[in-house]
This record gives sequence, structure tokens and C-alpha cells, in this order.
Amino acid sequence: MSLLDILLVAIRVAFAAFVPLCFIAVCVWMERRGAGFFQDRAGPNRANIFGFRAAGLVQNLADGAKLFFKEDVISDHIQHKFYFVIAPLIVFFTAVVSFAVVPFADTLVLNGKSYIMQGIPIDIGILWFLALAGFGVYGIILAGWSSTNKYGLLGSLRSTAQVISYEIPMGLAIVSLLVVYGTVNLNGMAQFQGQLLFGFIPMWGIILQPVGFLIFVIAAFAETNRTPFDLAEGESEIVAGFHVEYSAMKFAIFFMGEYIAMFASSAIIVTLYFGGYQIPFLSTDTLITYAKPVAFLLMLGLPAGMYFFAGWIRKNNVSHYPRKNDPRVYEGNIYIKGFWGLVILLELILFAILLCKSGGAAAHIFVVLLQICTFLMKVTMMIFVYIWVRWTLPRFRYDQLQKIGWQVLLPAALLNIFITSAFVVALS
Amino acid sequence: MSAKVKTLERKGSSLAEKIYFVEIFKGMATTFGHFWRNLLDNSNLYVRHYPEVEPEIPVRWRGRHRLTSHEDGTVKCVACFMCQTNCPAECISIEAGERLDDKAEKMPVKFNIDLLECIYCGYCVEACPLDAIRMDTGIYSVTDNNRESFVLGLEELLQTPGAFSEEEYKKGGA
Repeated sequence: MSLLDILLVAIRVAFAAFVPLCFIAVCVWMERRGAGFFQDRAGPNRANIFGFRAAGLVQNLADGAKLFFKEDVISDHIQHKFYFVIAPLIVFFTAVVSFAVVPFADTLVLNGKSYIMQGIPIDIGILWFLALAGFGVYGIILAGWSSTNKYGLLGSLRSTAQVISYEIPMGLAIVSLLVVYGTVNLNGMAQFQGQLLFGFIPMWGIILQPVGFLIFVIAAFAETNRTPFDLAEGESEIVAGFHVEYSAMKFAIFFMGEYIAMFASSAIIVTLYFGGYQIPFLSTDTLITYAKPVAFLLMLGLPAGMYFFAGWIRKNNVSHYPRKNDPRVYEGNIYIKGFWGLVILLELILFAILLCKSGGAAAHIFVVLLQICTFLMKVTMMIFVYIWVRWTLPRFRYDQLQKIGWQVLLPAALLNIFITSAFVVALS
Repeated sequence: MSAKVKTLERKGSSLAEKIYFVEIFKGMATTFGHFWRNLLDNSNLYVRHYPEVEPEIPVRWRGRHRLTSHEDGTVKCVACFMCQTNCPAECISIEAGERLDDKAEKMPVKFNIDLLECIYCGYCVEACPLDAIRMDTGIYSVTDNNRESFVLGLEELLQTPGAFSEEEYKKGGA
């Protein structure tokens, strides 16, 4: 093992471990500010450090500090303290680890050696995700049961029934996907989606499997306990459901686990149905060949995008009431300067790529970075869809939930398998 | 006279609505419209930037209490105990004393209103025969650090000015 091998292993493991953690902050921020904007209010934007609000991101820091210093209560009536403590950890851990098999860039080839760009280099891919996503529910079940609390138990019961109902359509939706892709390896799936259908449509899963996509997304919403399927929490009926007895950091771990699960399942949806790290019409080989024109186009595009972004900051980062020497204008100007600095830095990096030998190591690394950015952008958009759905749809009633699961999704998924198989057999 | 019957159209029974998806996408389009409008220009938000921008208080709004006085500065209250008797929250406590300025026979020596007990119903204002107590100060935010400071005394009640002119107050229908 050379130094480069070790470095790349460290990088990919660090990426798979820390990016989900970083995305907690992004998710919570998007959720709260997004909810505000969906409902025509501002959302949390007052917390600041020396007047710098960072569009509300500082609120996360304040919340984190608050939860960290709160009293961690374990009531006397809880008999199985070990299970009570380990439950949030199960939710958190399984959520983080389930992201580990998602490829965030195509295989990197350096000096004739290829390096897989995913946390754990195993081929079982989607099976790993299914197993761990199902296992995460054990945390919720344990939490509700060990709370020795009616509401907690009801919440975890609901969660159990929900997972049993929705794992099946999810699995079946994946079966029809496997028939199409012919592999369980997520990287193989992403590479498959880099092809073009009829020569001009990207061969993404959503185009090949629209019904399967809908079934999978609905089941994924149910798996992550997000509205409209968050009956396990059901504030209006069972207070907070499974985490009713949890406080302080234990609650925070549940909370973070939920957001990481959301990130991981967004990543899986993107990998299965939205081409993963693939940029539409630009497969990895094309990108490596045309690294310089792409870099040049980015060099032109970045300042143009930044110009409009600066205008947006200038327009929105102001106090919307009469105020002398508005400090928010000053704050906004500093942000704009910071972002311009970032753009200049990126321009220099892109310029360095323009100077490098085409098709060399620099081009390969540039393509990997580009694909990582694409992947994260797609995942962020998918997370936005999660948030968007949450603030649009009300919660389903329990019988409706079961009815949709068993009477609609299951037959639809089965039918989808038959039709897909028939097509694949007919075409091959 | 027969009752007017208005039959509302029941939604959700057609096939397109039962499939859910069409309606869900319609709803999502609506919410996204709001999101996008607010994201592009957040001055479109409907909320008031509260501590900096204060709400406009109408004349009839029941704020913190005050005691009115005659033009020569003497207190209008004659300690008739109407407000104290009427108060459903029992937050007013008056102590009457002899009056020496020839306006009436009695005047309050003590007039305490416990704002933590008060429910701001305005019955004291309704009950007062001499228009001596009013709730037209426009003070809506009553905060402090200790319980004692929420008990308003005679001096404080007399010194609090009204937020509106006499004509406005009369027009308000009080």
C-alpha cells in the first residue's frame, strides 16, 4: 500500500462519515428557514455572532449549545436503562453507516490504479442500505418500549407496523430496478445511468422506472418517518411518540439521526433514480477528455452566477424597516466580498487545470471533484423535496397509511416488476 | 322564514382526486409558489419584524390601566368601589380616605392593581361612573423581573398618560 492509497482511503472514509454530519446543519437550516418561507414568515434568523447571522445558520449553533447543556433526564420508572440509552445511538449509527455504500464520484484512476469513491468498498450496495435502513427502526422500537410510557409504546408500535408495510413495496421497487440495471452495486448503477437513451435522453432511473420511482420515494418517506408518514411522532395524538421520554443530547441524537437518515435516503434516491454523480449528457470519459473546455466554461459561469447571487444578497440581506446605518447592509457586503474571494480562489484552481496536461491526473481529480459537487447538489435538491413535501401535506390517518401500503403500493410494485421484466426480456 | 340551505360541493370523490398524485402536485405547486416568491424577495413576508416594528394599537384596545384626573390635577376617582366589586379577577384593591378638595366626599388613598391577576376584561372601565379608570394607555407589553413590580400603585396609575386624544377616545365608543 503506497502513501497515495492510504490517503485516498482516509479521504473517502472521512467523506462518508463527515459529510452526513455536516449536512445535519444544512438540513435543519433548510427545514426551518424553508418552512418559514413556505408559510410566508421568516423562520429563525435572529441568532447572530457579532451581528453576523449567516442567513440563520447561527441558530443551529445556539440550538446545539442549548441541547448540549440541558439536563439529561432518565426517569426512575425506566427499568431497562441500557436499552433506553442505546436506542438513539442505534438510530444515529445506522443512519450514518447506511450512507457508506453510496458512491459520490466515479472510480478515480490514478497511475493506472483505480480507487472506488465510496465509504466502504463492498459490492452489495443497495442490499446494505436496505438492511441498515430496516435496522434503524430497531432504535425507534427500543426507544418506545424502554420508555415505559404509553405514548412512547404507541409511537414505536406505529413505526413497526409502518416499516413492515413499507419495506415490501420498497424492496419490490428495487427488484424492478435491479432487473433494469442488472447489478446491485450502486457504482455500477450510477455508471449505467451515464448512458443516453435514444442518443439524447440521459438514461436515469426516473425515466426508465417512473412508477418504481414514485413507489420508492413514498416508501423512503415512510422509512425515514417524515411527513406525511410521521405517525410514529404524531404530536397531535401521542405527544412526541417514541422520543417522548428523551431529553437533552439523547433527544438531539434522535433528531440528528433523523436528518442523517433523510440525507442518506436522499443520496440513495439520487443514486438509484437521478443518475447519482453523473452530470447529464457528460459521462465520466467525456468529462476527462474535455476537462479543459468544461473548466473554461465553469470559469465563465462562476462570476456570472456570483454576480446574480451578490445582487440577491444585496436585495435580501437588509432590515425591512427604517433603520439608520443598517448593520445588515454592512453584513451583506462582507458576505459578498467573502463569496467573491471564494470565486477568485475557484477561478485560480480552474486556471491551474487549464494549464495542466489534458487527460492527466489533474483532469481525473478535477472530474471527481466536479462529480462530488454534482452529487451533493442533487442530494440537496432531494432533501429540499423532503422538506417541501413536509410543509405541504398533512399527516395520513393510520388506516389510510396501511391501505396505501398494502392495497396500492404493493400491487403497483408487483405489476411494475412484471411489466419491466417483460420489457427487458423482449428487448434483450 | 325558512332557513337558507347552502349545499357545499364535496371534493375528493372523483377518480383524479382519489389517485392523490395530481392533487398532491397541485398543492406542492402552490406551496412552492410561496417559497419562491419569498426566497427571491423576502420583503414579501407577511410577518412584522416585531421588537423593532411595533403593532398599531387601536383606540378600543384594552391596554394597561390608568387613572384619570380633573383639569386641576386632582384624581377623578371617588373610591366608590364599583370597579373592585365588578372585577372578576379580583385584582383591584382600593382603600378609601376623606377628601379635602371639595370635589366629592371620598378619594382613594391606596389604589392597587395586580397586573398578574388582571385578565384585561375592561369591566372596571365599564363600571366606573366617573370615567376615572381607563385602559387607553396603549401599553401591551408588560414585563419585569419580579412579582412585586407588577402591582401598580395610585401614583403610577395617575402618572401614566393616555395614548389617544379625548376626541379619538370618545369616537372609539368607550
